[in-house]
Amino acid sequence: MRPFTWLTPETTEEAVALLRAHGEGARVIAGGQTLLLAMKERLVGPSHLVSLARITDLAGITTEPDGALVVGAATTYAALTRAELPGWQRRLSEVAGDLADRPVRNRGTIGGALCAADPRFDMPAFAVGVDAELRISGAAGERALPAHEFLVDAGRTALGQDEILTAVVLPPLPTWDVVVFEKFRHRVFDAAIASAVCALRREDHGVPASLRITVAGATPTPTVVLVDAAADGAAAAESAVAAVRLDSSDEATRYRRELVHTLVRRVVDRAHAQQGSV
Amino acid sequence: MTETQARPTGVAPRLVGTSVPRKEDLALLTGTARFVDDIRLPGMVHARILRSDVAHARVRTVDTAPALEVPGVLDAMAGAELVGKVKPWGDLMQDLLVGDHFPFATDKVLYQGQELAAVVAETPHQAWDGCEAVRVELEELPAVVDPEEALSPTAPLIQEQILYEFGEGNVFDRYKVRVGDFAAAEAEAAVVVRQRFATNKQAGAALEPHGCVADYDSFTGVLTLYSSTQSIYMVRDVLADVLQIPRTKVRVLVPAVGAGFGSKAQIFAHEVIASLFSMRLGRPVKLMLPRADVFRAGTTRNAQVHYAELAMAADGTITGYRDYIVHNTGAMSVWGNQVVHIGTNVGMLPYAIPNVHVDSDIVHTTTAPGGPLRGFGIPQAIWVKEQLVDMAARELGLDPLAVRERNVIDPAEFPYRTPMGHVIDSTSIKRCLQTCADAIGWDAPRAPYEGKGLAVSMKYTSARHPSLDTDLSAVRLRLETDGTVTIYSSDVSHGQGHATMLAQIVADGLGVGIEKVSLAPPDSMTAPFGLGTYASRGAAVLGTACRLATQRLRDKVLAIAAHVLEVAPEDLDTGNDRVFVKGLPDTGIYLEIIAATAAYRTHQLPPGFEPTLEAVATYDTPTEREAPDGRGNLSVTYSGAAHAAHVRVDPDTGRITVLDYAMAHDTGTVINPLIVEGQHHGGFAMGLGMVLSEDYVYDEQGRLLNASFKDYLAVTATDVPELSKTVEIPAPSTMIPGGQKGAGESGTGPVPAAIGNAVFDATGIRFTTLPITPQRMLVALREKERRGVETLRYPDDMPDFRGPRQHTDWPSPVASDADLDLDFDWEDD
Repeated sequence: MRPFTWLTPETTEEAVALLRAHGEGARVIAGGQTLLLAMKERLVGPSHLVSLARITDLAGITTEPDGALVVGAATTYAALTRAELPGWQRRLSEVAGDLADRPVRNRGTIGGALCAADPRFDMPAFAVGVDAELRISGAAGERALPAHEFLVDAGRTALGQDEILTAVVLPPLPTWDVVVFEKFRHRVFDAAIASAVCALRREDHGVPASLRITVAGATPTPTVVLVDAAADGAAAAESAVAAVRLDSSDEATRYRRELVHTLVRRVVDRAHAQQGSV
Repeated sequence: MTETQARPTGVAPRLVGTSVPRKEDLALLTGTARFVDDIRLPGMVHARILRSDVAHARVRTVDTAPALEVPGVLDAMAGAELVGKVKPWGDLMQDLLVGDHFPFATDKVLYQGQELAAVVAETPHQAWDGCEAVRVELEELPAVVDPEEALSPTAPLIQEQILYEFGEGNVFDRYKVRVGDFAAAEAEAAVVVRQRFATNKQAGAALEPHGCVADYDSFTGVLTLYSSTQSIYMVRDVLADVLQIPRTKVRVLVPAVGAGFGSKAQIFAHEVIASLFSMRLGRPVKLMLPRADVFRAGTTRNAQVHYAELAMAADGTITGYRDYIVHNTGAMSVWGNQVVHIGTNVGMLPYAIPNVHVDSDIVHTTTAPGGPLRGFGIPQAIWVKEQLVDMAARELGLDPLAVRERNVIDPAEFPYRTPMGHVIDSTSIKRCLQTCADAIGWDAPRAPYEGKGLAVSMKYTSARHPSLDTDLSAVRLRLETDGTVTIYSSDVSHGQGHATMLAQIVADGLGVGIEKVSLAPPDSMTAPFGLGTYASRGAAVLGTACRLATQRLRDKVLAIAAHVLEVAPEDLDTGNDRVFVKGLPDTGIYLEIIAATAAYRTHQLPPGFEPTLEAVATYDTPTEREAPDGRGNLSVTYSGAAHAAHVRVDPDTGRITVLDYAMAHDTGTVINPLIVEGQHHGGFAMGLGMVLSEDYVYDEQGRLLNASFKDYLAVTATDVPELSKTVEIPAPSTMIPGGQKGAGESGTGPVPAAIGNAVFDATGIRFTTLPITPQRMLVALREKERRGVETLRYPDDMPDFRGPRQHTDWPSPVASDADLDLDFDWEDD
């Protein structure tokens, strides 16, 4: 680690102003579970760290009048795990409770995972999978982006240097009836080699109306796969494998292709098998 | 030896054999145990090593001058300035004329992570700043990662400076075994199975990284080194030799050690570097290795390639074993070549194979140094041999369990000498085998994608290393003036529970309460000379020394008591902190009184009695040196291990889950069942990592890609199944006076082979390389489905495999004198 200046703004506006004032050397820190590791190894050496810890409205979960769930970017995995969320939105708690290890979950945040944009992390996959919207504050004002537009490349987001991710907004409950998440990792605390999300909406009499499949881990950013709403697991898996374009013939790529197939088949079959809205 | 047998202890053992809770655990579990990194000495400064980021290169420039300009930096050094001043090391353990280890690379870098320079500063971060300022120019050379490529005449030469007695080029040593006549066995066999196998480069992955604090006293000239090591005298003797100072001027102390598994069983460059800085500055210097440095520059399990053949008669009798082993010791290695000797010799057990023909080329590659790691070559040998046994059994249509039952050593009389030369003093290996097979329901039908596998081994209990003609440990005991007892030993406990295990022996032998017995920290200034803790030697070898010392101390105590009580020593017994007349245990004289008498009431002592209440004993095992044909009884006794695995393979992800696992061991007389069971569980976990996930992954330039616990897939608690089927079937050693056998490595050896055999049973896929990752498992399953075959070998039958697929294409040992010619015929020359 190298010396740095620790800044503790109390409002988002103040944080943005600090980022603007200190330029390229300034980095936002929330839980620090990605940034601190990189700093410890001297892979990055920010001159200023702008902590979000004292900006109280960045942590916590609220529900909008339309049922959208607004999750503060600095909400820890541990807090998400404890939250009692309705319907399919509780998948967020389950995903947050089954990643990394307890020390990381106690400090790591949902916003941190999205800003790290690590293709193997679960939160980017989940956010894209349920078509979440990300709220951003910057010197130029507020804006919002769909999660899949926020994630530009492995390790790269659409955030400007003086912008802060403030919230992850899950769509209202009626958007989906069923959301299923699956991943494959070596050890229980490892990041996923591949993951898949299936978000299913049914019509009134239970016929599938919309099926959104997202594949992550195997590609630089989560990939949304277009399939027919009635597609079964096997068909969806074929579409997903074609969509992720893992064309190389080396063993690791072949394996990821197999995992994508397996995980997509599993999430889609599980989604169709679930009754009612869960 | 005769002395120990002639004098049984006075009271029946009370604590030996019981699960006394470990004295060590409270400090460890409450975080109060002190490790090297907890040491903070007045005026202490911090050093850091700059390591090469490339694997193989010529050193053009290492200029430390810019580092000296960095704020806080006190001193810096590199290799060139030490040449001629610091003696190379590594010769003692390898039988080399000149050592091949040096604190820094001088002319050439031989592996990524090798030391280039070091900087010492007021803080660790300033030392790091200093390292970044060192100016380095390297001319990169082609890396040699594959040990078989290292054998090619066109391969880049790695070690250019060292002349080896038995090797040339990248071969730095050779090994061979010639027992019986394999060719004859091959001709007569009902089946000969042949297969190429490869093993992986596994890390020690001790939780506590390597590190030390060196503290040179410029007035007395004594260099004190606190280090995380398994052996204080190996460090002291080599360090004094390297620095060319008397051994009385080097003191090595060891605080709590967070495990070693063999990876701390030698001196390392950082210990020399910290010492040099401390001597130059006259200040204490701490040098802790970051985790990445431990991965890159610590020692690893030696990876091997085997071209192995096993001959079997129609009834399942194993009649011969032939192997050509390419043994990868990395760029340099203090112990690496010994691994193939002991791993092969002892790895032939638990069978008495009459015809054994082994050649090994021990090669350098531009990878991290190989060395000892839990099992010392046994897990590699068992991985190969125990899969061949299954393959041969299946070819003959025999049950793998029945074949093993037929072959495991089960002689009518002990001691029994095998053709390889092992002297088996006792064993229960056959019952171990049957017990573990029963425990997992060997005969029950298998569900789809589920399979069961067996493997057996018998492992050394310490060993007389071919290059070191010694196998000793020592204990000194002191009865303190209040009746408590201090144990001094140089064999560092780094997870083996010596403070508990030795105290049990002393408590029983002296009749003193275990709470009154303490183990002093290992300190070369006070401890008797011993080799250290490795090779599962603690309970048997150190334990025997402790037993001998206890008896000697007891004799002194009885002599005083006999004089005071006016009875003969033979009429006395000890127990309950007292010496008493036999049959009257509630009377007697307290040890406290006897000890105080020897110190403060000396006129009450027997006439002419020397009042020292200390006793020292050294035990050197009655083992043999290795013969030129590879024969020899290298180990005093052998611990049996039979393992049975039940696995399930997920055909959609390739994940292998161990559903059930049974281990039956013969650890002889167990001093502390709790400790021994813990050793077996830990040993299993290391075996599980070896077979399913762990390996050093290098790119073509020789850069290690997984030098962190994030990327190196060490096994964690959730990966380990319930190990509720761990049983002991003791066959007490008759060579070791107390009956003990080594425990620490029994749990590792059979694991890869047992799981490999179970995976074959589940899938029809024979893995010939380690580890069996989900990726390899799944692509192999898909290839098998694509071809529509019943069985498949991975990687041998994969389309992209580039090695020899058939034994007719196998390479031969590069040595031209592959056949040993002991009767040298001058006239033909």
